[in-house]
Parts: sequence; C-alpha cells; structure tokens
Amino acid sequence: MSEITREQLMAYADGQLPDSERLAVEAHLALNPDAAAEIVLIQRQTDAVRTLFGPAGAETVPARLKPRRLAAELAHRRRRSWGWAAAAVVLVGLGLGAGWFARPLLDARPASAMLIADAVNAHTVYVAENRHAVEVGSDDSEHLSSWLSNRLDTTLGMPDLTAEGFTLVGGRLLPGEPGAGGRAAQLMYENASQQRVTIYVTSALPGGEPAYQFASYDGAEAFYWANARITCTVVGTLPEEQMKALAGAVYSQLTEGDVAVGRYRG
Amino acid sequence: MDQFLDQVEACVPALRRYARALTRNADLADDLVQDCLERAISRRGLFRPTGPVRAWLFTILLNLHRNALRASHRRGEIVDIDTVPEPAVPASQPGHVALAEMARAIDTLPLEQKEALLLVALEGLAYQEAADILTIPIGTLMSRLGRARAALRVLTGTPGEPYLRTVK
Repeated sequence: MSEITREQLMAYADGQLPDSERLAVEAHLALNPDAAAEIVLIQRQTDAVRTLFGPAGAETVPARLKPRRLAAELAHRRRRSWGWAAAAVVLVGLGLGAGWFARPLLDARPASAMLIADAVNAHTVYVAENRHAVEVGSDDSEHLSSWLSNRLDTTLGMPDLTAEGFTLVGGRLLPGEPGAGGRAAQLMYENASQQRVTIYVTSALPGGEPAYQFASYDGAEAFYWANARITCTVVGTLPEEQMKALAGAVYSQLTEGDVAVGRYRG
Repeated sequence: MDQFLDQVEACVPALRRYARALTRNADLADDLVQDCLERAISRRGLFRPTGPVRAWLFTILLNLHRNALRASHRRGEIVDIDTVPEPAVPASQPGHVALAEMARAIDTLPLEQKEALLLVALEGLAYQEAADILTIPIGTLMSRLGRARAALRVLTGTPGEPYLRTVK
C-alpha cells in the first residue's frame, strides 16, 4: 500500500498514470491526507501555469506565422537565389567570352612592329652563322632572285650595295607573319670588315598602305618601309648615318618601277 | 506537402504559447516561432524524421531557443523580465497561488527544468512525448519535473513537502 512513489503521485496529478496503477494510488491518497494535499498542490501549479500562459495560444496568429505564406516566401527566395546564381553564371560567361574575343584587340601591336621584330630576330640569328649564314649563296644570285620572287609572289631583285662597300652573301626563305603572306626572304650583305646587314622582305600587308619607320631594336638599327607590293626591313648594327645610306640605296632599288615610288624618293 | 503545412499550421498556437512562456516576451517568442517554422518548412522531406510533426517542431523550437540564449549570454544581452505583462487576473484565482509570484518563480528555474515543466504542465504532453522532444530518457524527464515542482513550491511560499514522509 505504501509502495507508492513520488513519480506515481506526480503522474497521477498530471493525469498520466496508467489505469492499472490508479486504484492503488487513490487508495493511498484516501489514507494519506498529506499526499492528497500534494496532488492538489501540483494541480494548482499546473492550473497557474495554464492560466498564465494559456491565453497566448488563443491569440490570433499573425500573418507572418502562417505556414503557407512562409512556404511561399521560402520558395520565392529560393527561386530568386537560383535567379541570382543563373545571372552570375551568365555574367561570368559573358566576361569570359568578351575576354576571348577581345584577345586580338589586347595584343594588337601594329603589323609593322611585328615585322620589324621578326626581321631583327632573324638578323640576330643568322649573322652569327659562318658556314650556314645563307641558304643560297651569291654565286647563284640569279636563282636566288627567281626562287625568292616565286615564293613571295612578287619580283625581288638583289639590290647592289657595292657603292656602300657591301657585297651580297646570299639569302634564305623564312617563315613569316600570316598577315604578310606567311613567308619572308632574308638577304645578307657583308663589307670588307665583315660587318653584316640583312634585308627582310615580305609581300605587302593587307591594305598595302605605304609606311616608313626607323626603329632601334635590341641594339640593332632597323629601317622599315612598306608599299603596295612589299614590306622591307633593313637591319644592321652600323652607325646610324651608314645605316641610313644603306637603307636609302636598298629602298630606291627595291621600289624601282613601283607606282608609289615617287612619294618616298628624296 | 499541403497536408504537411496543415499539420504545421495546427501546431502554431501551441508553439507560440510555449515560446511565450519560455521567453516571456511576445515579440521574441513570435520571432522564435517564425524561425522554427521556416526551418521546418525548408527542411521538410529531406530532414524531417518520420515521427509526429508536433514533436519535431517543438524540438526545433527548443534548439533555436537554446542557441539564442547562448548567443545572448555571449553578448551579455539581458531580456527584461519586467516587460512581461502581469497576469490580467491577479492572485485569488486558482487556489491561493499568486500568479505573478508563480510567473517569477518559473523564470528562476534552470532552463532544463523550465523546458520540461512547460511541456507537461502547459502543453499537456504525455511524459513520453516530452522526453522524446527533449531527447532524454523518461526517467530524467520525471526527475526534472519533480525538481521543478518542488522548487516552485518553495518559491511560491507554499508550506512544506508533506508527501516526503509518505515515500518509503
């Protein structure tokens, strides 16, 4: 009879005691007024708690706590964040695409600068050679001329620079800028003190605008000009005055008979 | 899905009531409930356990509340108890327990006792469901309840612990 525990009393007060135990507890309570008072106390506490806070559960639920509305907002937010993600992807794609297509603009060096650089490069490489400085020697200058003329699809005579003290060593065919026929001819001249100059010739650039340029490049002097038929760069390491004289001779001989010749003469 | 939202909606009044009792602040309580609902709705399906929706919602609410308390403790923020509305009907009502005194007494309870007491006394949940919500064994729940009620009895000045003599 007195095997009633505190937990059982509490469960009884909370109305959570299994039916099987309820009779025993009720019998116990009948004999123990203190225990009965305890039950009443617990129930009064419960009543007080419900009186205090119960009304909050009966209040009208504000709109912001409506599950359907919250679900719609969440879905909307999610859609919007997908939208942002998609927009970000599109923007990145546009940026990459624009960057890709803008490449030519970004490394747009003028064609002449590229040709001069190629000419100086070729000059540096081959003037240092002794046995293989040229592909075809000057002893076969007629063949050299017709061969290079055919390859460049133009008429290329070998300029005579004996007046400047230079004789032809020979020439070679080189790969060139795609914009200027993809091929280039290099002619090499040498003077008595074995100083060398090279002439780098390509067919005309698209447009074939006449141009004239003097550049000092990696320790070498380069005279560049272009007309409707060819571009030509004279490269050497001689003093500037001597280079100008050479370039003038080369220019006048290579442009002989060209329509636009008059513009640069003198 | 719509059925799920219906089930959630049916729980909202209880969640608000419980949150109000925990926080003693109507705005904080509703914020808590809103967070709880958003979390539940955004996680339905993938993360929802198979049990009853109500227990799951209460578990979420309790976790959010504990996190918020931890965060506010870290910030040193104080939730003002005096902002709590005094009960509209003072004293004299259920027995001789003064309601205001009871409200203050509940506030002084350790959180784990308060959580347990309110689940059972206020929400009228079965011990087992309350224990599941708090993820504790039912014995632990009952001992927390017992300690909470004993503390309330002392704090509200109700005499003695008469039934202790009856326990063997």
